Amino acid sequence: MLQVLLKNAGPVRLNAEFRCARGELLALVGPSGSGKTSVLRAIAGLLKSPQLQGRVSVGGAGSGESVWFDSARGVWQTPQQRRVGLVFQHYALFPHLTAIENVALAAHPARANTYFDELFERMGLAGLQQRRPLQLSGGQQQRVALARALAREPQVLLLDEPFSAVDAPTRQTLYRELAALRQDVAIPMVLVTHDLHEARRLADRVVILDAGESLQSGPPATVFASPRNARVAELVGIQNHFRGRFFQSGPADAPGFGRLAWHAGAPEVPQISLRVVDKKRLDDGAEVSWVVAGELLDLSLAADPQAQNTLACTLREVLALGEISLCTLVPLQLPSQRITLNLSSASLRQLGAGPGAVLHLHIPPAAIHIMPVRQG
Amino acid sequence: MDWQAARVSLTLAVCTAALLLPLGVWLARWLATTPWRGRPLAEALLMLPLLLPPTVIGFYLLITLGQGSVAGGWLASRLNLRLVFSFEGLLLASVLVNLPFMVQPLQRAFAAIPASLREAAWVCGLSPWRAFWKIELPLVWPGLLAGVALTMAHTLGEFGVVLMVGGSIPGETKTLSIAIYDRVQAFDMAGAHIMALALVACSLAALAFVFAADKTRPLQEK
Repeated sequence: MLQVLLKNAGPVRLNAEFRCARGELLALVGPSGSGKTSVLRAIAGLLKSPQLQGRVSVGGAGSGESVWFDSARGVWQTPQQRRVGLVFQHYALFPHLTAIENVALAAHPARANTYFDELFERMGLAGLQQRRPLQLSGGQQQRVALARALAREPQVLLLDEPFSAVDAPTRQTLYRELAALRQDVAIPMVLVTHDLHEARRLADRVVILDAGESLQSGPPATVFASPRNARVAELVGIQNHFRGRFFQSGPADAPGFGRLAWHAGAPEVPQISLRVVDKKRLDDGAEVSWVVAGELLDLSLAADPQAQNTLACTLREVLALGEISLCTLVPLQLPSQRITLNLSSASLRQLGAGPGAVLHLHIPPAAIHIMPVRQG
Repeated sequence: MDWQAARVSLTLAVCTAALLLPLGVWLARWLATTPWRGRPLAEALLMLPLLLPPTVIGFYLLITLGQGSVAGGWLASRLNLRLVFSFEGLLLASVLVNLPFMVQPLQRAFAAIPASLREAAWVCGLSPWRAFWKIELPLVWPGLLAGVALTMAHTLGEFGVVLMVGGSIPGETKTLSIAIYDRVQAFDMAGAHIMALALVACSLAALAFVFAADKTRPLQEK
């Protein structure tokens, strides 16, 4: 178990807290400049700042635990003392050394050649031992960097945007290899990425970072579907993100349901009333931001008089992207708003609607996720 | 050819380079890797010998190290060391004048090493000292060769400072460049010619070597 608590007031602002269990892959996600790499550097002991506070430890609680950093007890281990495997963003291979010399530098001096041959074989690098980094492809360089990190026999594996410098087909291969590696090596792994798809695909848990602060953590599916606040929704790239005012369930509403008045920023202008699930967490009349999960929305030509939350919309734009089409809808009652939907091109053909058509959009209450607006 | 002068010149060049090498490596690495407010001033001071007339440097060295000065007097009385009109003094002056020639190429070489390489070495478990020998030094090697070649070539050709601080004592401080001057004064153009040609050849060879070393530079930041 890797436990991280970091606070830094200096030029690199940090306020991050998370844990990563053995064998777990945790992704630190955030825009560039959000402090992802700084967190990684702090774990590795490379971020030195007099204001750095907190604690970094690995291993089980008690005797098996090694404390790498503890500002309260004045513990600071050097990068050499921490057994960390770190894959740098541009790999940081030593250009004047061969692949095997790069790897051997990180290994215990007593390691025999057979160990390296096995490691190279396992990493798909057999036969490349004597190549210099510049004689290797991007994917091979990444594997050498990973082999070097593993040769250190680390307690924690840290990966800093390891897939950003390779082409897309290589990236797919490397994703599979990382998944396979996780079967072999049961240590905490922390992956830094700005790529949401990558985080979603690879990680067991994600931590959303913004300006050095960890805003939310959890399984990717949970974080991406139920962002804790508007900033997280923005950071995880949810397109359908709107403002509104929430009203608790009243006598006119079905039990367990409240009302959402969708407005375009200023509450007094025309609005749409939507039925939403009332989780009893929000005050009556609270200003909220909300998102909809596109995959739960339904589009039809004729209005269903029974269905709740059905909006008449104009199909403003259709962008065909092969198998899917990106549709932009504008509600007739709230023409300043845009709803983006990914429809399969086949179902759009079935619908027989082109730009300009009026369609009926059904938003089930369960598809609406409401978040409080962060004050100040 | 004044072989005695050639011997003095060569000894001076070798000793200057040998003394400047560790000093230059340390200074260059420090300047290239340490953020520091006073760095522009330090760099300007280091470059000053390139711009100042050699006689100005020689003049101040004479004033500070001469036996009438505090430092000169102390050195003479305590250590029995005379730093003007002696080979030791000449060597000191040569080291100071050659600082930019040694430090400049080395500093550029150190600055070209990405900080991530140094950090990668630490994370691999290498102590800063081992990281220096195993990673940094091999990567600055072309810069180091360039520094040594430039320093030696420049020492062979130095005239003004040598004359001011060293005088022209045969076998002690009379170098090739001063010998050439003497020959011209004595209208021995053929003698001057041979020595001048030897200096041209040395400098050309050194410069060609520097450029060759620069092209084979193994590290190119991607």
